[in-house]
Amino acid sequence: MSQTNSSPVFTGASKYVLDDELAKIVNISMAIEMPLLLKGEPGTGKTMLAHAIAEALNMKLTVLNVKSNMKLVDALYQYDTLTRLNDSRFGDSKRDVSNIEEYIKMGKIGQSFVSEERVVLLIDEIDKADTDFQDDMLDVLDQMEFDIIEIDKTIKARYRPVIVITSNAKKDLSDPFLGRCNFHHIAFPETDMMRKILHVHFPDISRDLLEHTVKAFYRMRDFNGVEKKPATRELINWIRALKSDSDFKVKDLVKGDIPFLGVLFKKSPDYAIARNSVSRMRL
Amino acid sequence: MFTNFFYLLRQVGIPVSPTSFLRLQKALSMGLITSIDDFYTAARSILVKSERYFDLYDQVFAHHFEGAELKEPDEFELSEVARDMLEQWLRDPEGLAEALGVDEASLRNLTPEELLQYFLDRLREQTEAHHGGDRWIGTRGTSPVGHSGYHPGGMRVGGISRNKSAVKVAMDRRYRDYSQEGPLTQAHMGEALKRLRNMIPSGPKDVVNIDETIYQTMKNAGEIEIVFDRRLKDRLKVVLAIDNGGWSMDPYVEVVQTLFNYSRAQFKELKTLFFHNSIYDNLWEDPARFKKPFRVDDLARLDSETRFIIVGDASMAPYELMATDGSIHIEERTLRSSHERLQFIADTFRSVWLNPKMAEEWPYTRTINLIREIFPMFELSIDGLEKAVTYLMLKN
Repeated sequence: MSQTNSSPVFTGASKYVLDDELAKIVNISMAIEMPLLLKGEPGTGKTMLAHAIAEALNMKLTVLNVKSNMKLVDALYQYDTLTRLNDSRFGDSKRDVSNIEEYIKMGKIGQSFVSEERVVLLIDEIDKADTDFQDDMLDVLDQMEFDIIEIDKTIKARYRPVIVITSNAKKDLSDPFLGRCNFHHIAFPETDMMRKILHVHFPDISRDLLEHTVKAFYRMRDFNGVEKKPATRELINWIRALKSDSDFKVKDLVKGDIPFLGVLFKKSPDYAIARNSVSRMRL
Repeated sequence: MFTNFFYLLRQVGIPVSPTSFLRLQKALSMGLITSIDDFYTAARSILVKSERYFDLYDQVFAHHFEGAELKEPDEFELSEVARDMLEQWLRDPEGLAEALGVDEASLRNLTPEELLQYFLDRLREQTEAHHGGDRWIGTRGTSPVGHSGYHPGGMRVGGISRNKSAVKVAMDRRYRDYSQEGPLTQAHMGEALKRLRNMIPSGPKDVVNIDETIYQTMKNAGEIEIVFDRRLKDRLKVVLAIDNGGWSMDPYVEVVQTLFNYSRAQFKELKTLFFHNSIYDNLWEDPARFKKPFRVDDLARLDSETRFIIVGDASMAPYELMATDGSIHIEERTLRSSHERLQFIADTFRSVWLNPKMAEEWPYTRTINLIREIFPMFELSIDGLEKAVTYLMLKN
């Protein structure tokens, strides 16, 4: 217990603006050693949070990108049968063919378990996988160990990783899964928060540009019928585009002339809607 | 510590588990929580697992720690309670009269509409004073006629239907939970649905077929030839949308129930949604079509390989289908016509419409013809199912 109390406290990172609430939740989750499940609109910085934690606490980050056809074993370890087979035929490798262990490769979860130091384990977009995967995985994360069947060996976590799980889905994950996570929903940032975020990314941004882009951005988020609303990521890219365009003047925005709409709206129907609505927009 | 708070959360219907409560205690005992603000965030992230309950959590928190009033039941909830009472009255007039402390005989003379109004009036007078009491009707009381909305895990009486006689309305919307076991008489239907399950395996060829590998290697005189197979995993996901409202579907409820009972165990993933007459902005995850709306827009998020099966009689007034604001439910106001919504579903998924009415009757109902232009329609019979399954399984 004393060890966890003295463990480092997360207060934010160089490229991540953190609200107090989320900081508390991260710290509590680390202290009571629970995975933290993050939900929220795409582009609200769920994945970035894990990066920020890793950066701030100076830990290594291991990312498991969940795919829809993934099996739990893939995330734990892989038994490279093909290499072994080839080695046994040609005999020109340095590996010992009779030792299966030489052909076991750790998956992402496995890596975070055997790591020499405490790492941050990000399990990204858990909702993509099926429910079996999710339920099986939480067993592993709960017990912090798994078996490698081929060599009959149990891998135990040396240090309990800081686990961050993200989910984009509207649907809830299964109850037993939720039962073993802490939960936080990242709301889309308010304008004030957004200004802070932009300041972090563009320290030298002019006040004028900041005000007008933010205003235009929130106005555009409210367009009716847009399927994928532009998020923080799009806004940052958009400003980057605006800044790199030497012909661009902030005044154009006020006039309702919005360049680079394609950076903000990435689906063609959305783009068409935005095109239409922008012409009627006045700041 | 904070046991009352925990039970209050449970009471208002937030699914909080004892384990998570213990975990909160652990966090408290570790000295991690030093202020009420800390407690607010910590307790929320540990206890509450879905953003849907955040608002409710806020209310309870404010109530418990700051003494704020919990939200008063609004007009809509009141009318729900009143309907519950009416139902109670129909079952047990004496009991209710006694609970209300009025003479049963005086109520007997009232028509159902007058009765409903009477209950409503009484409720309005009484809501403030009697929360948590044991005799009168409050939201959190133990009185037999209390509002069921806050029952943790309880059942709820359905939505509103106006312009029908009150007795009918009260009796109409008893909770029909299709997921419960019913008599399984039509064994063939299961057979037909099994076809859905015996699907072509999909996904990458990533499993070694050992027998075949050995055979081929032998044939190759020892030169290794590895044969891969597709994972024999059934990836088929199915969304089943059932029309469970209105009298016109009642005769088919049992048939649908059989179908539903069978299908539950048979698919990789089965999502069952409910609607009344036609699909507007929302489908519902609960049979009462009240608690858990599922936005039709959100269907776009589902795997596009999902098969969408709609079960309904497709019989309604034409305006319900074609008008932009066609729903017969007053509280369901929409900007897009149901016709448009159905078209969206048909464009998004491979879908079929199963109609419990016999095919001979179809030409006589206008809306059936309109919907047939959108969805391939099949009878809800063994034959129809077989055809529907064949259609659903067609490649491209």
